[in-house]
This record gives sequence, C-alpha cells and structure tokens, in this order.
Amino acid sequence: MTSNGSNGTNGAFAIEAKGLNIFYGDFHAVRDVDLKVQPRKITALIGPSGCGKSTVLRSFNRMNDLITIARTDGVVNFHGKNLYDADVDPVEVRRRIGMVFQKPNPFPKSIYDNIAWGAKINGYKGNMDDLVEDALRSAALWDEVKDKLNNSGYSLSGGQQQRLCIARTIAVKPDIILMDEPCSALDPIATLRIEELMRELVQQYTIIIVTHNMQQAARVSDYTAFFTVTPDRTGYLEEFGEGH
Amino acid sequence: MAVNNKRPNGSFPEGDEFDRFVRRRQRVGKTWHGLFFAATLVGIIALAALLIDVVDDTFGYVAIQSNIPETTLVMEYNKVRMLNAPRTLASEDDQLLAQNIGARPTAIGFFGYRFYQKNAESLTLLSVDGVQPDEQTVESGEYLLARPLFVYTSDAIIAEKNQVAAFLFYYLNNVNQQIRDIGYFPVSEDTLTQAQDAWAEATGLTASTVENLYPVTGDVQAVGSSTVAPITQQMADEFARTEGQNVTLTVNSIGTDAGIRAFCLDREGDILDASRAMGAVDTDACAAKGRQPLEFHIANDGIPVVVSAENDFLTAVTTDQLKQIFTTADNWSDVDPSWPDRPILHFIPSGDSGTLDFFVANVFGTTLEEQDPADLIAMLSANISSGRLRALEADIPLANRTPEDLVALIRAEVVKPQGVGSWTLFESIFKRQEIAAEVAAIPGAELKFYSWLNWNFLTSPQSTDPYKAGINVAIWGSLWITIIAFLFAVPIGVGAAIYLQEYSTGKSRFDQIVETNINNLAGVPSIIYGMLGLAVFVRILAPITSGAIFGYGDPSTTNGRTILSGGLTLGVLILPLVIINAREAIRAVPQALREASFGLGATRWQTIWNHVLPNAVPGILTGVILAVSRAFGETAPLIVVGVATFIVVQPDSPFSKFTSMTAQIYQWTSRPQAEFRHLAAAGIIALLVLLLALNATAIILRNRYARREY
Repeated sequence: MTSNGSNGTNGAFAIEAKGLNIFYGDFHAVRDVDLKVQPRKITALIGPSGCGKSTVLRSFNRMNDLITIARTDGVVNFHGKNLYDADVDPVEVRRRIGMVFQKPNPFPKSIYDNIAWGAKINGYKGNMDDLVEDALRSAALWDEVKDKLNNSGYSLSGGQQQRLCIARTIAVKPDIILMDEPCSALDPIATLRIEELMRELVQQYTIIIVTHNMQQAARVSDYTAFFTVTPDRTGYLEEFGEGH
Repeated sequence: MAVNNKRPNGSFPEGDEFDRFVRRRQRVGKTWHGLFFAATLVGIIALAALLIDVVDDTFGYVAIQSNIPETTLVMEYNKVRMLNAPRTLASEDDQLLAQNIGARPTAIGFFGYRFYQKNAESLTLLSVDGVQPDEQTVESGEYLLARPLFVYTSDAIIAEKNQVAAFLFYYLNNVNQQIRDIGYFPVSEDTLTQAQDAWAEATGLTASTVENLYPVTGDVQAVGSSTVAPITQQMADEFARTEGQNVTLTVNSIGTDAGIRAFCLDREGDILDASRAMGAVDTDACAAKGRQPLEFHIANDGIPVVVSAENDFLTAVTTDQLKQIFTTADNWSDVDPSWPDRPILHFIPSGDSGTLDFFVANVFGTTLEEQDPADLIAMLSANISSGRLRALEADIPLANRTPEDLVALIRAEVVKPQGVGSWTLFESIFKRQEIAAEVAAIPGAELKFYSWLNWNFLTSPQSTDPYKAGINVAIWGSLWITIIAFLFAVPIGVGAAIYLQEYSTGKSRFDQIVETNINNLAGVPSIIYGMLGLAVFVRILAPITSGAIFGYGDPSTTNGRTILSGGLTLGVLILPLVIINAREAIRAVPQALREASFGLGATRWQTIWNHVLPNAVPGILTGVILAVSRAFGETAPLIVVGVATFIVVQPDSPFSKFTSMTAQIYQWTSRPQAEFRHLAAAGIIALLVLLLALNATAIILRNRYARREY
C-alpha cells in the first residue's frame, strides 16, 4: 500500500467495500456488503442491534484481525489497494484509518502523552508540543486542558476523554476516522459537542460513524447506510443513500 | 424455602409469614457468617499456635558447665601471680602480717580489719580510688574491697526449731556490739532493723514475746562461708554464755558456694553463712527443695590495705596501682616515679584464705574481659598444650591478636563451656524453681537465660556444638538459590505468559499442549521437580552445573550438586506459578487499551511493551513474590537434588556446594539432642523474618510502581 495522501486511484471514493462477507467462526455475521464512502463526508452506518454495522466498520481498518476467530472475505479498496491483500500490513492500515471507540479509552498516561505516543511510535518528526496543541485544538479540547497537560487522561470527564481519544487519533494524521458509537456512553451535552466537532473535522477528514441513534445520524451524516438483519441473524446492507 | 401450601399461587408472603420468611433468610445469612468467622478464627489460632511453639523453643534457660569456670581460671591466675611476686610473705597469721608491715617502711599488705584495729598505731590505712574504708563506705560498697555478709535460714526451719529462732533473735540484736571485735564492719541500724523485721515476720513474734521460745535446747548447725563462720561462732558462744541456754553450735566452713548447695539441695544445716547474697537462681533452687530462703544482712567485710606508719610517701592508691604493686612492679618507683626507688615488700594472706580471694576478685576482676592482653596470653599459654599453642601462633601470632580474640580463644580452648541442659520458654517461666534445683545439683553449672536466636547464630556456620552452630551459610545458600531461581523463572515465565496471552491463538496443537500442561504442572508435587532436577541438572548437565566447562568449582566434590542445580530446579518448580500469575495479570489489562493502541497504528510489540506490560506489572510482581516465597521455603526438591548436610564455608559462586535454611532446619529437627530443636526454632524465626523482609521489600517496590501509574 502506498501512502501518498488522499489522491487514491479509486477516484472519488475514500474507501470502498465490495462483496464484503465477515464470519465469526461458523457464524456468518455480515453478508455481501457493497459500500462506497465519499471523501470528506460523514457516512453513518445505522441499523438495529446485531446487524453487523460495527463489524463492517472494524473491517475498514482491520480491527477484526484482533479477534482470532474473525474471517473477512471480499475486497476493501483504499487508495486503489485491497486492504485484505496478503502484502498489506494492518499496522499501516490503522495508521491511515484511525478509530474512536464506543467507550472512551484514553491511555493511563498524561494527557500530553496520550496524544504524543501515537505520533512517536509512528515516527513523527517535528515539534511534539505543537503537534499536541494542534491535535487538542482540532478536537476542541485545548482550552479545557492546556493548563493540565501532565494530568492523567483519566482525570477528564467522559466527554473530554472521548475528545481526547479523537485528538489522539487526529494526531497521527489519518485519512479516515472510524467512529464506533462514540457518543453512546456520553450525556446529551457531551454528545452535542462531539457532533459539532465531527462537523468541523469533516472538512479535513473522511468520517465513518456507527450509531444506533437515528436522530444523530440525521443530525450529522451526509450519507447513511442502513443495515438490517436476516432471520438467521446475518447482517446486510439494506439501503444506502445521500442525506438524512 | 418450603412452599407454603395455604398461600395461593402468585402471591408473596405477608404479615407473620413475611416476618418468619425474613427471619429465616437472616438466619441462613448468620449461619454462614458464623462459619466464615470460625474459619478465620481457626486460621488465626493455627498461626498463633505455630508462632508460640516456635518462640517457645527459641528462648529459654540453658545450663552451661565449663571445663574450668572462667572465674576460677582468672582468680587462680592472679592469686598465683601475687603469691609468686618477689619479696612476698604469705601467712595465715594476720597478726604476723600486721607486725611485719608496721616494722618496714617500704612494705604493703592487707588482712582482716580486726588486726588493723589491733595494730592501728603502727599502720597507715590507705584509701583506695580515693575512698577510705569506714562504716558508711563499706556498707554502701563505695569502698572497693567491701562486701556484705549474710546468714540465711528458711521459714520452715525457724518455725520448726525454736532454738534456731531464739539464736537468730539474739544474733540480730547483739551482732553490732560484737562485730568490731570479730574484725568486721557493723551494718547500719536500718539494715539491722530490716533483718529484725524479717525475723519477726517469719516467727510471728516480737521482742516482747520472744520469751515464748524459751527454754531452748538442741543443736544449731551452720554451713557455708569461712568468712562469716567466726561471727556465727562468736554469737553462739555469747548466746550460750549470756542467756545460759543449752545450745550447741556446729559450724561447717565449706565456703559460700558449697554452703548454698549443701543448705539448699542437700537440706543440710539450719543456718547458712554466706559472703555473697543468693542470686535468683539460688533462691529458686532452694525454694524448689522446700527451703524458701530468709535473708539477714548481718555485717560488712572491708579489707584494709595498709602500709607502715613510718611510710612517708603513700596514703592513697588506685586499683591500677594495686594491680602493679602486688604483681609486676619491683620497686615503688616502677609504679609511680615520685615514689622511692626501693623494693616493694608484700605481706599478704596465704592462698587458702578467703581474704586473698576477695582481694583478687575485687582488684583484678573475675572475667576475662577485665584482664590485660599480656595476662590473657599467659593464661592461654599455661593451659593448652604446646602443640596447640604453636598452631595458634602459626595462624596469627598471639601478640598480634586483639583482646576480644584472645578472650574468645581462652573461652574456646580453656574454659570450654558446654551445654548440660536446655529448657523451653514455658518451662523456663513455669518451672523455674525445679530447673534451678536441677542445675544447682550439677557442680560448676551455671544457669542462664538464653536466646537461641542471637548474633552468633546468624553469623556462624553449621557446627556439631549447638551453642556454636549458626545458620549463616544456609542463609547465603538460600539467597543464592532463590536469586538463581528468580533469574531463571521470571524472564522465562513472563515471556511465556506474554506469548500465551498475546500471541498464541490457542488454535495450534502446540499452543493447546502448552496451555494444558502449564496448568497441570503447577499442581505437580515438588518432590517430582526434585527428581527432574536430579536427572537433568545434576546428572545430564553436570559439566555445566558443576562449572567444570567454565573452569570453576570443584567437580570432584560437587558432582553437579551445586547452587546452580538447586536454583534451576526451584526455577523450574516456580515457573508454572510465574506463568499462571503473569497470564492472569496480562489478561486483566483491559482489551480497550489494546484496541486504542492498535487503533493508532501500533504494532503488537509496541502495544505489549508500552501498554500491556506496564499495566500488568503490579499483578505480575504479585505472582513473582508468591513464587519466590515458594522457592525460598522449598525443602524437598533441594534434598533430592542434594544439599550438603554439613558445610561451613559460605558459597562463593553458583558452582559451590550449598545448603538452604529449610534444609538446615530440617536437618536440625532430625537430630536427637534437644538443643538442636531450639536451633531449628531459631532458624524458623530467621527464615520467617527474612521471608517477610523480602516480601515487604517487593510489595513496597510494587506499590511504588503502581502509584507511579495514572
């Protein structure tokens, strides 16, 4: 896989799934998903519980590899390269396609180190302080934490922690940010702040968000993919469309 | 709950039934609560019992009998020096001594105080260390050459024999009128009143009712000190003369120590004459034989050091000067240059006299520590064979040894104290009197309270003499073995845990076999690991474990039975423990943390190193502490691998022969002599303390590490 920014050969699409099938052992979790994600837009994956929307999302940065029994068939194109080709290193995939998780999961480190660590391991060269500040500003967290960068990431509130996780993801400058129900553990006000943040971030990043909150999908997304589930509990893409 | 049939379906209990229902549930809860509490209590009691048992064996009385008692050795040496000093006249006849000193201006000497009084006009009394002997300084002990004199009897004797009671009443009321003539110092009125009160309490009589005892007839037997005997004799004579009572006194002057033994153990005599107070041990021994001693302080002895009245340079001496004057000094000027350059003439009581003994004991001391190095060397040389002396000289010349060394050497070579009995703490507390009586019956035996756990025990190697044996070599052995086990098991164990938890999918056959076996290995009896260690480390890997291929060690003696083999065996033993605990700790690290790390593009190793391990360290350390404690306390595998049963050299490399604390304790417990049981108990305490110290250190480190985390 190359790393030449957002000018991929698959033209208009930031990422494209073709005939994606995901299995957990013998269980067929997701069937025949074809999905084209537009760059610099928010695409929401919605659907009932157990329809496989999170599974699909995690397949976009090969997070499912961490689950030993998970198996993925089909193609996920990113910059004209199938992410599931044998010569693709999942480590690099995850560097390009960042992820924010359902529950805020900052590292048990200082706020500063939470942001700097990802950049450090990915070989960032430059002023780390500036990078941390930029990332925190982008995540609309800078003003709240600039005086306590050495405090633990755990000392923040849930909403702040989630924004810290977003900042951490931004700091490694990914092309795409995957968000797996990022607001499900937050109160309505914190949720709104995250949603505002997403609207700002989408000017620079492609965002794919999983939510089971229809209103949220309506509020934030440019495109919506609706998943549903067959009687044998296999999820599939029912409908994909623009707008709300 | 039993179903209440009367209640319709679909209803909850109400009213009384509800109360009963609640009470019943509470009762079940209380029962369990009680059971858990009982379990805790049983555990605590078991621990306490163990601790009490160990402490019981660690402390207690021991009886020590010496080849030559140290006091005797020191006293005899100094007596001989005094008697053999040039120009010394030793005589039984105090009057002769007094006359000779009085006639010679350069003479010095000492004798009973009575003869100073008789010849006071021709003699000058010297002050010693600035103190003149008089009634006050002698009674208070301020004067160097002073001692109290006692007579003892017992409650039972006084009650039984009215002649003894009557005689003692007379004795206590009249001794102060007679005492100067006999040649001793009177005690103060207070002291005498105390003695009289003690008499009154024991007899239940007062001065006005003492007549109830009369008339008295029969014998009064006195045993003990020859110093006190003249007083008792004189008082008996006066008693017979003035009171006109038909009482005969027999005096058996056998010395104070022999007197105490005779009076207490053999129940001889009605009165004990003693020139020292009975110690607690003596009192106990007496009481055990039914003679609760009753003490009367009746007089004080003060030995005058005198020169002739014609002597014009000497009125005061110090202890140090006395030592020189009576032994090494030839002329007066040797002691003090301002004194004349003329020979010293000595006039002293002869060797059999208690006065000379008393002088020697007070001036030269009775312990080896008080003697000069030159005297120590002389004492040593005189009492060991010339061959042994040459061997010691060849080792380190005696002249170059420190006084402490010399004292230790004399104790080991000449005094040779030997344990002749030992008792546990409870016996020592509850059977004190019986023990004292038992020990008093052994001539020259000394009873003392002993802690088997002492500095010598911690710093000495194994020995066949339980009083010299120590656990030092075993402590080092245990530390070496534990460190090797730690170095082997922790890296491998934590590595394996990381592999199994973070890399292994659990799908491959290999992973499954490892998975199953690790859990089973933790339950394998430790002796099996001993067999494994014997087969693999001692036999197959002998060239490595004996250090032969590295050019270390002595393969001919160690045969692979080295610290390295023992340590590796214990390392294998604790490996499953380390792995299981480390896996638990790693498993407990939240999956979300790993996902966060992977989500940022971290590799698996970066995730493990930066997030999983730091968060698992406290848990891993807990497992390591448990495992190391296990290794430290393990015995059976080491015995199979081959601990040395008797080594006295500290291990200096992994290829040394070894023993461990546990093996040492085990070995001591299997010895027949009771003393080794005490040593084993002391060893257990040392083991526990060391283990607790190691654990506490590890726990403090772990907590500090855990606190550093966010």
